[in-house]
Amino acid sequence: MGIEDISAMKNGFIVVPFKLPDHKALPKSQEASLHFMFAKRHQSSNSNESDCLFLVNLPLLSNIEHMKKFVGQLCGKYDTVSHVEELLYNDEFGLHEVDLSALTSDLMSSTDVNEKRYTPRNTALLKFVDAASINNCWNALKKYSNLHAKHPNELFEWTYTTPSFTTFVNFYKPLDIDYLKEDIHTHMAIFEQREAQAQEDVQSSIVDEDGFTLVVGKNTKSLNSIRKKILNKNPLSKHENKAKPISNIDKKAKKDFYRFQVRERKKQEINQLLSKFKEDQERIKVMKAKRKFNPYT
Amino acid sequence: MPKELFEKKDFLNFRCLHKRSVYLAYLTHHLLILLKKDKLDSFLQLEYSYFDNDPLLPILRISCSKPTGDSLSDYNFYKTRFSINLLIGFPYKVFEPKKLLPNRNCIRIAQESKEQSLPATPLYNFSVLSSSTHENYLKYLYKTKKQTESFVEATVLGRLWLQQRGFSSNMSHSGSLGGFGTFEFTILMAALLNGGGINSNKILLHGFSSYQLFKGVIKYLATMDLCHDGHLQFHSNPENSSSSPASKYIDEGFQTPTLFDKSTKVNILTKMTVSSYQILKEYAGETLRMLNNVVQDQFSNIFLTNISRFDNLKYDLCYDVQLPLGKYNNLETSLAATFGSMERVKFITLENFLAHKITNVARYALGDRIKYIQIEMVGQKSDFPITKRKVYSNTGGNHFNFDFVRVKLIVNPSECDKLVTKGPAHSETMSTEAAVFKNFWGIKSSLRRFKDGSITHCCVWSTSSSEPIISSIVNFALQKHVSKKAQISNETIKKFHNFLPLPNLPSSAKTSVLNLSSFFNLKKSFDDLYKIIFQMKLPLSVKSILPVGSAFRYTSLCQPVPFAYSDPDFFQDVILEFETSPKWPDEITSLEKAKTAFLLKIQEELSANSSTYRSFFSRDESIPYNLEIVTLNILTPEGYGFKFRVLTERDEILYLRAIANARNELKPELETTFLKFTAKYLASVRHTRTLENISHSYQFYSPVVRLFKRWLDTHLLLGHITDELAELIAIKPFVDPAPYFIPGSLENGFLKVLKFISQWNWKDDPLILDLVKPEDDIRDTFETSIGAGSELDSKTMKKLSERLTLAQYKGIQMNFTNLRNSDPNGTHLQFFVASKNDPSGILYSSGIPLPIATRLTALAKVAVNLLQTHGLNQQTINLLFTPGLKDYDFVVDLRTPIGLKSSCGILSATEFKNITNDQAPSNFPENLNDLSEKMDPTYQLVKYLNLKYKNSLILSSRKYIGVNGGEKGDKNVITGLIKPLFKGAHKFRVNLDCNVKPVDDENVILNKEAIFHEIAAFGNDMVINFETD
Repeated sequence: MGIEDISAMKNGFIVVPFKLPDHKALPKSQEASLHFMFAKRHQSSNSNESDCLFLVNLPLLSNIEHMKKFVGQLCGKYDTVSHVEELLYNDEFGLHEVDLSALTSDLMSSTDVNEKRYTPRNTALLKFVDAASINNCWNALKKYSNLHAKHPNELFEWTYTTPSFTTFVNFYKPLDIDYLKEDIHTHMAIFEQREAQAQEDVQSSIVDEDGFTLVVGKNTKSLNSIRKKILNKNPLSKHENKAKPISNIDKKAKKDFYRFQVRERKKQEINQLLSKFKEDQERIKVMKAKRKFNPYT
Repeated sequence: MPKELFEKKDFLNFRCLHKRSVYLAYLTHHLLILLKKDKLDSFLQLEYSYFDNDPLLPILRISCSKPTGDSLSDYNFYKTRFSINLLIGFPYKVFEPKKLLPNRNCIRIAQESKEQSLPATPLYNFSVLSSSTHENYLKYLYKTKKQTESFVEATVLGRLWLQQRGFSSNMSHSGSLGGFGTFEFTILMAALLNGGGINSNKILLHGFSSYQLFKGVIKYLATMDLCHDGHLQFHSNPENSSSSPASKYIDEGFQTPTLFDKSTKVNILTKMTVSSYQILKEYAGETLRMLNNVVQDQFSNIFLTNISRFDNLKYDLCYDVQLPLGKYNNLETSLAATFGSMERVKFITLENFLAHKITNVARYALGDRIKYIQIEMVGQKSDFPITKRKVYSNTGGNHFNFDFVRVKLIVNPSECDKLVTKGPAHSETMSTEAAVFKNFWGIKSSLRRFKDGSITHCCVWSTSSSEPIISSIVNFALQKHVSKKAQISNETIKKFHNFLPLPNLPSSAKTSVLNLSSFFNLKKSFDDLYKIIFQMKLPLSVKSILPVGSAFRYTSLCQPVPFAYSDPDFFQDVILEFETSPKWPDEITSLEKAKTAFLLKIQEELSANSSTYRSFFSRDESIPYNLEIVTLNILTPEGYGFKFRVLTERDEILYLRAIANARNELKPELETTFLKFTAKYLASVRHTRTLENISHSYQFYSPVVRLFKRWLDTHLLLGHITDELAELIAIKPFVDPAPYFIPGSLENGFLKVLKFISQWNWKDDPLILDLVKPEDDIRDTFETSIGAGSELDSKTMKKLSERLTLAQYKGIQMNFTNLRNSDPNGTHLQFFVASKNDPSGILYSSGIPLPIATRLTALAKVAVNLLQTHGLNQQTINLLFTPGLKDYDFVVDLRTPIGLKSSCGILSATEFKNITNDQAPSNFPENLNDLSEKMDPTYQLVKYLNLKYKNSLILSSRKYIGVNGGEKGDKNVITGLIKPLFKGAHKFRVNLDCNVKPVDDENVILNKEAIFHEIAAFGNDMVINFETD
């Protein structure tokens, strides 16, 4: 079975091939290179996501205009009608993979963290205007996917959006100051309002087991209490041996007051050296076994 | 030789030596006949050789030829790789030893005036006298061995130690490290077992372990001067055998290394030159420090590493000197010095004389610019066939017994590039020193008045960006005093220097690589800005302004050049901290917005009150997933740029909280984010401060690390390896030089960095750096601050030193062990690089793809191998800096419409320097939007490609297009490696995250063609060539 005969994958995805345009720098090949997109009808309880196609492996820099054009071409070929609305969750460069804001506080995020959905990279949802549209498109896609085996020349050619030299250079352009000011102003206004709201909620709602209302000060986001809880998440200390924190009493105590303390310390030092010596001996054994102990190499 | 063959006065005028030669020839002749008779001549080979390279001591060497075919004899010992040396000795005390003392003359030559006494002939005397003492020393050593249990073991240690450092018993007078081999080591040890102190107190005891004996000898070598200030006397064969007199250190030096045997009147160290002795002493000192180091394990540095395998690693600078003298009768005219009969009796051979002459000339000329000098006569032979009468060497195009002379120097980095060689003070009547000085330097010498009013004879040199001053001095001195025709090669030194990008600054071609003034200018500009910002009235006052950019620690690849804004390092990072406040928002986006609000305020103030400064805002992407960071970029009137970012006390908490709140599969990503944040905002301050501070003591660090970065970028690695990691790796040969010395030249430092990487087995070994100044420097600082002359005892030194303690060191090691327990093969993290600043060791090195790490190691290995087999020359150095693009799965050549070389502040190598100067920007554009026109678009392209394909491909490209982008700085290249995981077919899943094509209705495989099309389409016009395999 050749690659052209595969019109659908076992798990229900339709294979959607595109011909790719030539590029002057690429070696010309006999057969046109193809890009393969995979599509499936999306099923979700979420009303937002009804009438959606689940797309895998979209071509580079695809946007809703590309999809509109493609669906238009498709419908034109198979004489049907279908309208797309928008392209959802298309995060090609993974910039929004992690929502730092939501992870640090629930103040600014619109949805509940638990309800947030995650679509894998390299996938997107194509939303149609109604059920008829998606049905028509789906049927046309099925026909199109069989085209590869019979009439490979009739496959659509994909047109990439090609960024120009200026697009890249524009990344270096300064931010517009007025825009920046406006943006900060609006954002901070919302933030302050939400913060005040949250503060009120907290103060009025904490009732502990015994029925007492817990009073929380206005500025309770004491760093110390937070710090202790999350400091052990520090990846830098992941591989450290956890040492017991020195208590205040220990800190104040003199360490060379009694003679036995001095003696103990000396003993410790000697023991340290001794253990190092023993370790070295072990190491030499290992080195000898590995034949690394050869000064003549 | 039997006693009857000699007469009393035979020690004079080579007579006994001639007799021995005849004896040896006779013996050889008859031995040959006997061998033929016994049919041993088919595999036994005889040849003459100079024992220990001493031309006065020919011996017969018997070795075996490689057995051929079936003619294998039972007596053939070829496989053992041994050979037999037949030495001809004289009977003990056959000549009066007193007459052969080192200060006596035993070669009488005719001379015109009787008043002038003949020069002493120490080499000749030694050769004669030591030939009669073989048996004596055998007995002496045997006796000592019997008395001392660990003598043999200690000797083995000593032999190994000497061998790894290139020392042997060979004559060092004709070059090479020598005069101190195992024999000398054991004699010294034996002498020290019997006294050796100033009061004849015993230095070593018979009950010592081998380690103690070894350490005792090393300590003695390191701390006692046997050359200028004193010497050691001992008795190998006491007259009165019952009470042997003790060895004694005597405070009287003979200006030559002296270990004097009172019994035989032999100076055991005669074969050693002063320069050879100084190097030995330095190595002993270094080894003593290593032996005293209880923190780090120094075993392999002391015994396992052979440091004399590659001259360019062992010495800072090496010059090959050719002496094309033509025909024999031209000798006198081409050599600037005469080798007359007086010199002949003193030095015995022309080679000895030349070595002595070159050493002295270079020493005097270079003064304290160098620490040590070593001469090697390359191609010197000491073997010759039994049909010949002496060594004939015709290889060098001259009649010397060598091809060329290699002058090897260990440089004193703090003095090497001073412009003026100061001579004696000027006086009315010319003093002898002044006469010598004037005579030595000739036209170069001049009188100068200095700031303090003194008038001094001196020579003035000019610095250059392509070679050290030492090169010009060596050139001048050797041509003036050794031979006019001497050709001194310094091409390789130049070559390395020229790989450092030449900044577009006034007279940069005449600026030494050690000159940091371009960095100082940037710092000065920053200081002015610093004052302005500190005085601003802001809602929250500024607590600190911390510079963290690489130029502040002198490590940016390109030197800072005003208005060179295309340079990726043009905007130097600065971290701004405000007074603590509880009001910072407890949510990251809002926190960043609040920070920006403060920056806006600063910008407002700045544009209102300091109109010469210009500024703009840009988005910063250095912390993944934090898309809200905005930096304030300020352009100073001096032409420098600084990028300000704000750090608050809440940042760290928020990043940590994000880790705590994240789903498990996201945690690694967030940990990376946290590490990036820590590296950029917190650790960068410590890193910059530490490196800036200690680099003043390691003069060559800045040029070396910049060359190393260039090398990394040439090989497309700098995109994967952070600046900080490169800097830490490059500082290893400086802060932890053992068993070598601290690098004293650009190429030496660079080669040591490569050597270290090539040997670093990062799977098993952490790199733990003690980022402190060298010990001597610390001592100096304290001494000057406390007052000269005050003695600092070792205890205070220990307290003041900021070195890692044993506990800290062990803690770091433990971190490494724990890390490797969870990642035994280093697939996740390869380079564990820790210091006091970062005990975790993972801060700068996490996130490097395994193939990139292994490639770095492999490249360094190839480089070191190449240099060790083919030596340093134009071709090999070029190869070092040639990227191997064939190893990648695909290569994309890029070209940008505008060349960025001149706007990166780099001078082209063209002859018309004025033209390129004009092209470079000399001010910032009126409209700051136009800055972007001269920025590198390929950087953004690669960044987005990396984001898109990070799951399936590893893409590399050059970061410094102005340096490595060809003539104009408009070329770049993207290379791609397909991750091994994606080379085969996969079951089709929606979360595969790569561009695939189906192979059947279940499995898919990476769709390479489509990816290539995508990359080509993304790069669009910039892509000029696309190579796939």
